[in-house]
Amino acid sequence: MASEQILVVDDDAVTARFIASLLREHSYDVLVAEDGANALELVGRHELAMVVCDLVMPYRDGYSVLRAIRQNEKYHDLPVLLLSMRDREEDVVKGLEEGADDYVIKPFNARELLARIRKILNRKRRVT
Amino acid sequence: MEQILIWTILAISGVFLVMTILIIANKAWRETQAAMRARRRKELEPKILSWAHGDAKSVRDALAETPSSFDKSVLEQILLDHIQRVRGIERDRLGRAMEQLHLIDGYLAGLESRRWWRRAESAEKLGLAACKRAVQPLAQALDDEMPEVRLRAAKALGRLGGEASARKLVHALNEPTRWSTIRIADILIGMGHQSIDAVIESFPGLSHDGQLAVLDIVGQVRPVSASPWLLKRLESESSDIRARACHALGSIGDPNMAIELSAAINDREWPVRAMAAKALGRMRVAEAIPKLANALRDEEWWVRHNAALALRSIGPRGIEALENLVADGDAFAREQAILMLEESGRLDERAGELAQGGSTVRTAAKAFLERVVAAGTTERLRVLSREHPLAEVRHELLALLPEKSIS
Repeated sequence: MASEQILVVDDDAVTARFIASLLREHSYDVLVAEDGANALELVGRHELAMVVCDLVMPYRDGYSVLRAIRQNEKYHDLPVLLLSMRDREEDVVKGLEEGADDYVIKPFNARELLARIRKILNRKRRVT
Repeated sequence: MEQILIWTILAISGVFLVMTILIIANKAWRETQAAMRARRRKELEPKILSWAHGDAKSVRDALAETPSSFDKSVLEQILLDHIQRVRGIERDRLGRAMEQLHLIDGYLAGLESRRWWRRAESAEKLGLAACKRAVQPLAQALDDEMPEVRLRAAKALGRLGGEASARKLVHALNEPTRWSTIRIADILIGMGHQSIDAVIESFPGLSHDGQLAVLDIVGQVRPVSASPWLLKRLESESSDIRARACHALGSIGDPNMAIELSAAINDREWPVRAMAAKALGRMRVAEAIPKLANALRDEEWWVRHNAALALRSIGPRGIEALENLVADGDAFAREQAILMLEESGRLDERAGELAQGGSTVRTAAKAFLERVVAAGTTERLRVLSREHPLAEVRHELLALLPEKSIS
């Protein structure tokens, strides 16, 4: 079975490399985008299993990427996990209400992040 | 003369030429170094991250070669970049890598440096590395002669977390001439619940300002377990302490403390009474309503205002108490109650009832609005008598309002 492809979107290259390394270590195929516009371009071009997206980015933030995904007929059900340093209750609630499948606060626990990603992918597999 | 001029021009040109060559060489050297570091980082980073995600014991085995001093500086940057972005096992493993590469030993030695900027840098890196054995050396650095070193050591202790770090930091609250109390308090607040035991235990030995900072910390961190301790602070001689304790109790919002806290609403100092009223509002306990209603007759505006706000936030029973105060014998209480009912939109609701519901609702609304008119605060009702969307309400209000105040 071909490995599932996950898109990591973060303008902080160090964080993006860390997550990509974590996912590759667990046999996922990883694409990296450094901003929202680039992310949406990759979403349109690849058969992705899910997106791990930073919330605060210049020009096009995580909410905007999430909305664009949810509004697109072709890939509106693509799972999205939001990552953010914003740890207030209202931020988490807003992220989930906008349609995110999960919300993880930075700095994150790598193994917990991996478990959440696996859970989302398992759920997606069951649905399809 | 001409000869001297020529030699002078040649000398100046020579100096400029040498300087230009030096600048270009320096820039080239820096850019080469940066490119080398970037290339080496690309090679080393995946090895370090793979080691952090795994469970191998020695990071040196993962590197497969003994790092040169150049590699070590690249590895240091990689580790410092990543360790501050993660938590849990990966963070512990990155910290262990720093230990195994003797970077931590280097930072600890750096704390002893004669150069203050090296001490400051070492303190900062020890905090980023989350090195538990650095607590004691960092605590010593809190007494450094340079403020920058002290501040970075304090931040590092805050990052390290744990009760031991908190205990060291709390003592810095006692030195207002050397420390910005607010900065230390912010660091302790950032540490959250793990700082609470330490700040509470240290409280008796702290200066007055230090004690106030502790009450602010407890109020911001909001540990429910600290509520009984805060209640005890209401017995303090200092009104500042009593007021801040009320504020902290309100922030925590434990309703089990409301009855005991409500005694503070009769405090001899108005700032304590005002804070007690505010805190009771945050607890939203109906049992506090009689004391809050009484506080609307307080001689200080802030106490009356906070008590009215508190009654409003308690909900329907608090609003009912405010409505009863509209006919109170105290003019200040009447005014504050009507203002709060107006702010909360209850006055408009009551006006609306003049045209809705059964006759009981209508009669009660009319009787209430008559009391408002009798109290003399009719500005909002006059507006409603002109602008309410229902003609029946406008008509009823015009009938209620005295003629001279309709204009």
